[in-house]
Amino acid sequence: MIIKGGIVYDPANGIFGEEMDLCVDEGRMAEDAKGEEIDARGLLVMPGGVDAHSHIAGTKVNTGRIMRPDDARLGIEPRSGVCRPCTGYTVPNCYAIGYRYARMGYTTTFEAATPIIEARHTHEELEEIPILDKGALTLFGNNWEVMECVRDKDIGKLAAYVAWGLRSARGYGVKIVNPGGGEAWGFGSNVKGPNDPVPNFDVTGAEIICGLAQANEMLRLPHSIHLHFNNLGKPGNYTTALETLELLKDIKPSRKRQVVHVAHMQFSAYGGTSWRDFESKAPVIADYFNSHNHATMDLGQLLFGSATTMTADAPLEYGNARLTHNKWSNHDIELEESSGVVPMVYFRKMLVNAVQWAIGLELALLTRDPWKVLMTTDHPNGSPFINYPEVIALLMSKPKRDAEMATLHEQLPKRTGLGGIERELDWTEMAIMTRAASARILGLEDKGHLGPGADADISIYNLRPEEVDPSRDHALVKKAMAAAKYTIKSGIVVSQEGQILAAPQGRTFWVDAAVPKADTDRLMVDLQEKFEKYYSVRLSNYAVQDAYVPNPKVIRAGIQMEVA
Amino acid sequence: MKTITITPLKAFEISVEAENISPDKLAPLTLRQIRSLSIWQGNRKRKLSDLFRAEGDDGPAKVEDVTITLQGDFSRAKRIAEGMTAGKVEAEGGVGMHAGNNMKGGLLSVQKDAEDWLGREMRGGKITVSGNAGNYVGAGYRGEKCGMRGGEIEVGGNAGAYLGEHLCGGSIRVHGDAGDFPGAANQGGTIFIGGSTYLPGAEMTKGTITVRGRARVLPSYQKMEIMSIEGEDFQKYVGDLVEKGTGELFVRVGSS
Amino acid sequence: MIVEDAICSFCGCLCDDINVEVEGGKIKRVRHACRLGSSKILGHGRIKAPMIRRGGELCMVSYQEAYDRAAEILLRAQKPLLYGWASTVCEAQKKGILLAEEVGGVLDSTATVCHGPSVIGIEEKGLPGATLGQVKNRADTIVFWGCNPAEAHPRHSLRYSSNVCGRFTPEGRAGRKIVVVDVRETRTSKNADKTVIIQPGTDYEVISALRMLVAGKSDVVPDEVGGVPKAELDGLAKTLLAARFGAVFFGLGITHSRGRYKNIDNALSLVTELNSHTKFVIMPMRGHYNVGGIGQVLAWSSGFPMSVDFTRNAPYFNPGETAACDLLAKADTDAALIIAADAASNFPRAAVEALAKIPVIQIDPYENPTTLISEVVIPSAIAGVEVEGTAYRMDGMALRMRKLVDTSYPSDEEILSHILESVHRLQRGLER
Repeated sequence: MIIKGGIVYDPANGIFGEEMDLCVDEGRMAEDAKGEEIDARGLLVMPGGVDAHSHIAGTKVNTGRIMRPDDARLGIEPRSGVCRPCTGYTVPNCYAIGYRYARMGYTTTFEAATPIIEARHTHEELEEIPILDKGALTLFGNNWEVMECVRDKDIGKLAAYVAWGLRSARGYGVKIVNPGGGEAWGFGSNVKGPNDPVPNFDVTGAEIICGLAQANEMLRLPHSIHLHFNNLGKPGNYTTALETLELLKDIKPSRKRQVVHVAHMQFSAYGGTSWRDFESKAPVIADYFNSHNHATMDLGQLLFGSATTMTADAPLEYGNARLTHNKWSNHDIELEESSGVVPMVYFRKMLVNAVQWAIGLELALLTRDPWKVLMTTDHPNGSPFINYPEVIALLMSKPKRDAEMATLHEQLPKRTGLGGIERELDWTEMAIMTRAASARILGLEDKGHLGPGADADISIYNLRPEEVDPSRDHALVKKAMAAAKYTIKSGIVVSQEGQILAAPQGRTFWVDAAVPKADTDRLMVDLQEKFEKYYSVRLSNYAVQDAYVPNPKVIRAGIQMEVA
Repeated sequence: MKTITITPLKAFEISVEAENISPDKLAPLTLRQIRSLSIWQGNRKRKLSDLFRAEGDDGPAKVEDVTITLQGDFSRAKRIAEGMTAGKVEAEGGVGMHAGNNMKGGLLSVQKDAEDWLGREMRGGKITVSGNAGNYVGAGYRGEKCGMRGGEIEVGGNAGAYLGEHLCGGSIRVHGDAGDFPGAANQGGTIFIGGSTYLPGAEMTKGTITVRGRARVLPSYQKMEIMSIEGEDFQKYVGDLVEKGTGELFVRVGSS
Repeated sequence: MIVEDAICSFCGCLCDDINVEVEGGKIKRVRHACRLGSSKILGHGRIKAPMIRRGGELCMVSYQEAYDRAAEILLRAQKPLLYGWASTVCEAQKKGILLAEEVGGVLDSTATVCHGPSVIGIEEKGLPGATLGQVKNRADTIVFWGCNPAEAHPRHSLRYSSNVCGRFTPEGRAGRKIVVVDVRETRTSKNADKTVIIQPGTDYEVISALRMLVAGKSDVVPDEVGGVPKAELDGLAKTLLAARFGAVFFGLGITHSRGRYKNIDNALSLVTELNSHTKFVIMPMRGHYNVGGIGQVLAWSSGFPMSVDFTRNAPYFNPGETAACDLLAKADTDAALIIAADAASNFPRAAVEALAKIPVIQIDPYENPTTLISEVVIPSAIAGVEVEGTAYRMDGMALRMRKLVDTSYPSDEEILSHILESVHRLQRGLER
């Protein structure tokens, strides 16, 4: 296939809006090719979108569906052509997830948080999602084995557990959510911050984070630790963000990437002391990211309207439910994690929601280096992913932001400096924040760029970047980003003008990390005891079997060692 | 005035979905177009004329000037008058489930019985049923906090269970008995039950329920004073206190 | 040969520590399972070959004939019902959903006669829950409401609840308070520390009273609720509040007594409110071993966990209208595929009578009352014994059932695939 004459944005390869042809051969980018020609003359062309943080598969996602028939009945699309029926707005069914991401030009999406013991369920759902390449991050922040290794300062055993856990879960990377708090929630409490000791375990969240970061680098995993801070969602929590980031600044990454990726930074950039004096601390956070290079973030942008909050931060969800008197699902997972699901609505005229909306945008606009910032909504916590075009349009257009701000609570300008920010992101920066940077941050070498050998995941949009001014024509930008003219996945046109033409099965990325046998042997002594005494499932039935990952893409990693 | 009379050609076995039988849908259409409207019967998409005879006035009209007369048994025809904003639908027999779903205005009158989910999520307008109504009269959809938000429903006979579940506004009047749990999780609106019922106002936070017959009352309702309403004595209760509710429940004295 | 850690395919406990002795391709002995599970795994006489009813009698036919006839019946129907699903693996359930979409039918599971009301309650209030290992390791107070695990889930107390020891519960039974709430004494209540007997049909009121007592609003509560003196209810409320970690398990006693889903709705709120004082979780005691599975698979496939109507090419969910018993009660279905469930034994009589009037396709390893009213009978391999695949435990935990012995019977998944093929062939034929 040859894509002719597109205005290509491939920032990873230094291409910032150049008119050029792209060649695809056998599902990969190539120097030249024959075959089908796609006319993209003058149109915006980028690598396929890569979403590094979204809740798309697993127990809590399905719990969201089960408890929300009121959401499922929205967004109903009857079966047609190659498409199975779709339902849902904030909690779409599996088919809707695949088709809707593909329509927008996204081709790779990662599930943000999976407990090892429930990874089998996650993979069942991932396999049901059409088109996309995917992976799942594995939760380690509240596991009993992790806390005990950290307490005993046994990083070798910790690394062995991380490797074992990733293999058992067919997971891609290390996810940490409210470390220590998930365990405390097992008896209904929480931790007050990273230095608050976890009840019954004699460790702190800070120690857990540092231990896992060290193990992550020892194992040379493609991704860094992916961290959801303690105290998320609380007024004044920006101090927790900064003090936690400080813990990690001296750790050396084992690859050319960050040492920590911060999940949905917006929810941890809060000032004030209560909801009454709640204000944005985005400038302080952005300053930190501007003066340090060990961290990256994804936004977790909030948009007005319906959402479903779902996270492994179970105490937070309980708090949400009490605050809004909404239905509440909770799921604590033995020896590993906790989670919660609560529907939410965000209102323009509610000052707190308006400030939250502003914070996400501020973070993106005030952080100078776009390679440190990923555009996400923490789907479906801030907003469903189907609304990404709205975020893109806001980031590229000050007039749009101003128009939107005029409809919000009138006190907003007192709580955020967003109104004074002139910066408008350009296509290069958007391509970085939605493709190039996400792939680099995750450590996906063949994604997020269009150099030879990369996966031929390409999006072509109905927009002429050389003619359109995104600042003035933001409505056009939003419309164009909502439905790609062509979405190409592994060299196959899967979507055209918003219609799904093909629904091939994507691959599931997971990491197989090697560790010294001696460490694994010591680990297994611990685990055997835990399965004998504490788990409700037998060790031999625990790990995810091959049958659940029929289309794997295995990335090897591990501790540098003599090969026996 | 535009009057259309619709009669089933024969009894249906599998129920039909008749959301196209509504003044809003028929107002701009000719008789020919009306007869070509789609009516689903299970997984078969049929034309209206496959199942019904349609006679009446040709030519377009304003919605409020449309009267649809349903002659015969429509008890297996669902979603009649769904979403109607004006005009009249007069059923001489019974109507199927979801009659008057999402209704916003106009009048739906039923001479015989109405099946479950009469006036679901109603917003305005008026529904009258001379016979009995099924379960979930004026109720909402699963998982939604608010169901019916406005309008009036009146049932001459009895109503089934879950009358006005999740009621947020509007009024429902049942002359006969109501089944279990009327006014469950209500946040507003008024319910009147001429006969007896069981555990009214479960988790009600606001609204008014009046029962002229007998009612078993929840242990989470606070007994207040006895009040006179239209010359009869009613015991007043406030609840449902499990939800810190300030709803009012009136049960006629001497009938408990 | 001993297969260790096999997973039992009977109830929602999904015990995964079963040892099965296999000799000569047959199961000889089962260890660790309860008698219900053992019996299931050991198996019994089964249907030998596919059959089609001709002239009132079931006659043996080839599998292909059976598939073709099934496809014909399904395609001819305007509103076929595809029911059951609870005793087979998820891989088959996925095919079933595809089949329902393709033939434009209604798909429902045995939850409709079991925990369907619990699902509706969850749609109102959410589910404050946990995995069974949390109960094992933390619960010091356990309430069994309207369920009798001693008889229906025999190993529950041993593996997950009353009697098991865990990290924070090293004393096991001795360190726990077990409470039973029921309408009469049961085998479970004989081993309880406290039994509260309530009048039948008063669960809702008793729960409301408990909510009031837990919230400290005792004054309003009458002296007796559901036949239980207020002092006794107050004692129960205090027991709940004194828990370090409480777990409520509930069953058909409360889902099918007067109030139905409102009872569950109220119980979920009680547990939510208890969480503002201490830690509490609640869990339905699922009956069939994979009724949890069909709920999960249907939810991620269609957005809804049961009673899904696909007739208009898009999922529509409205229990009370789209559930199997609703359709049968109103004679609003004209064909049925019954798989991995015994509808004729478990449905209300009026529903069974309606079922007997329409063509029924049965897919099952075993003969049962549904066979008597079936027009097509297709014997399948036994999932969880002869076929491996996924099942979901009562707490949502997914496990992989093992294959213990070989078989020449086709699996449910294979049968459904073949029926789908026949459906496609017939559809193409009709188009020409």
